[in-house]
Amino acid sequence: MSSTIVATENLTKRYGNRTVVENLNLAIPEGCVYGFLGPNGSGKSTTMKMLLSLIQPTSGNVEIMGQPMTRGTRRSLLGQIGSLIESPPGYAHLTGAENMRLVQRLLGLDRQQVDVAVATVRLQDQMGKKVRDYSLGMKQRLGIAMALARQPRLLILDEPTNGLDPAGIEEMRTLLRRLAGDGVTVMVSSHLLGEIDKTATMLGVLSAGRMIFQGTRSELMVASTPDVIITCTDPQAAAATLGSFNARLTEAGEVAVPGLDDRQTAGVVAALVGEGIGVYGVARDEQSLEDVFMHLTAGGGL
Amino acid sequence: MNTRAVSNEFAKMRHLRVGLVAVVMVVAVLGLSLYTVVSSPTFSPEAPGAWNGLLAGMSLGIPLVFPLLLAVLASRQIDIEHQGNGWLLQATSGLTPGGMCRAKFIALGLIVTAITIGTSLLVLATGKLLVGIIPPVPFVHWAGFTGCMLAVNLVVLAGHILVSAKIDNQLVALGIGILGTILAVFSQGLPAVAAHLTPWGYYALAMAADYRGSGFVALPLPYPSIAALAVVASVVFTIITYRFDHQEA
Repeated sequence: MSSTIVATENLTKRYGNRTVVENLNLAIPEGCVYGFLGPNGSGKSTTMKMLLSLIQPTSGNVEIMGQPMTRGTRRSLLGQIGSLIESPPGYAHLTGAENMRLVQRLLGLDRQQVDVAVATVRLQDQMGKKVRDYSLGMKQRLGIAMALARQPRLLILDEPTNGLDPAGIEEMRTLLRRLAGDGVTVMVSSHLLGEIDKTATMLGVLSAGRMIFQGTRSELMVASTPDVIITCTDPQAAAATLGSFNARLTEAGEVAVPGLDDRQTAGVVAALVGEGIGVYGVARDEQSLEDVFMHLTAGGGL
Repeated sequence: MNTRAVSNEFAKMRHLRVGLVAVVMVVAVLGLSLYTVVSSPTFSPEAPGAWNGLLAGMSLGIPLVFPLLLAVLASRQIDIEHQGNGWLLQATSGLTPGGMCRAKFIALGLIVTAITIGTSLLVLATGKLLVGIIPPVPFVHWAGFTGCMLAVNLVVLAGHILVSAKIDNQLVALGIGILGTILAVFSQGLPAVAAHLTPWGYYALAMAADYRGSGFVALPLPYPSIAALAVVASVVFTIITYRFDHQEA
């Protein structure tokens, strides 16, 4: 995870007066699973399409594998980038094998590359079936096999778990982990943190077209500054004393104080002791990444 | 042109019943051509202008059959891209939508060329072997008419590829095909200037023969008009597919 395989600089896309993506600075380290998160309509698909040069940025730059992604370089770069954008591709009137042969012929691949890709998504027993008879999960896997056949260094997947049942989602997670283990950098978008939380080693959170967080999971937790939970002899008096800090009583009879850093926490404890309130315990609230994500995307940033 | 993309277009034609549509086109025109001569009370296989009867039949049959079935061929080949997210799949492999349209035109164009020439040769063979026409075949006129029909067919095909690619709802493309059939047939009764205004009007302009007075007579072929149509259509097709190349997904 040393070099950066995808980097954008102030990437912006506007349609008339509407800004869809604004000053995005992505940095995706090579070899990671990058979870690209954000609510529906936050600009994830637009960003991914700009990375693939399917749409042109209004301003800013995209650099992939150290080369600028432009109309001039896209053809050679796309040979090393597998992608699955929007709904899974596949010609319904053809079999899975016939669909894979189209990709093989277009990209000049050999049979072994196709067989490996099909085996990776465990679709080898379904290749004789027409795609119209596939389940959604099978179509997703076929789409990923098409993306993998070129043996890409970078795989860009736009909401690959959309519409999948829990078993399908778990299967997708396993696949992403396996690909990352094989050295493929995977960028995967979702509007649900839980779907890629356990797979992604890096996270980027997009809200209303702006990057509001980028880093590891633990950095995300730290950056979100969880509430300080104080257990004391007189919670009601403590909450009143800390009213200026927006303290509140919890259902468990504790006092929760939001937005405190370590120095402020010490000051709050001192203030309570000064008021004659005995403090038994001080701890940071335990919150799930889902809570953090919801907080970030609802509040528009850290 | 990317030959791999063209090969893929042929591969995509599997299960689309392109062969069946092609057979219908050939058989329908052959039937209409034969009906024209059989239903004519003045037709005689020994008459010096006997071949003009079959040419008149083809001049009626092709405008009646081809416009709609060309729309069907183009529509089926394009609709699979709309339905299967094929535009994005190919674009992420480096093949732009304009490039795909050009590949589809070449693949379908080869088939339409085979259908047009095949129909022409089949009518010729039927005239010789089945109808028993005795005078020598007017090869130059026959070949000229076949070339004109081929040019118009390819122009109409190109137009339908663009319409089907631009408009997802293929009923619109098929509706235009029906409208084209009406224009192709009724342009025969319009002044030549009016027939020049739509691609389908050129079917009427390029009539090789017609029934006049007491029998079938050969008509001059409008080579300059057909050549101009081909040039204009090539330029327009190139410009529009170039624009498709730069269209955002």
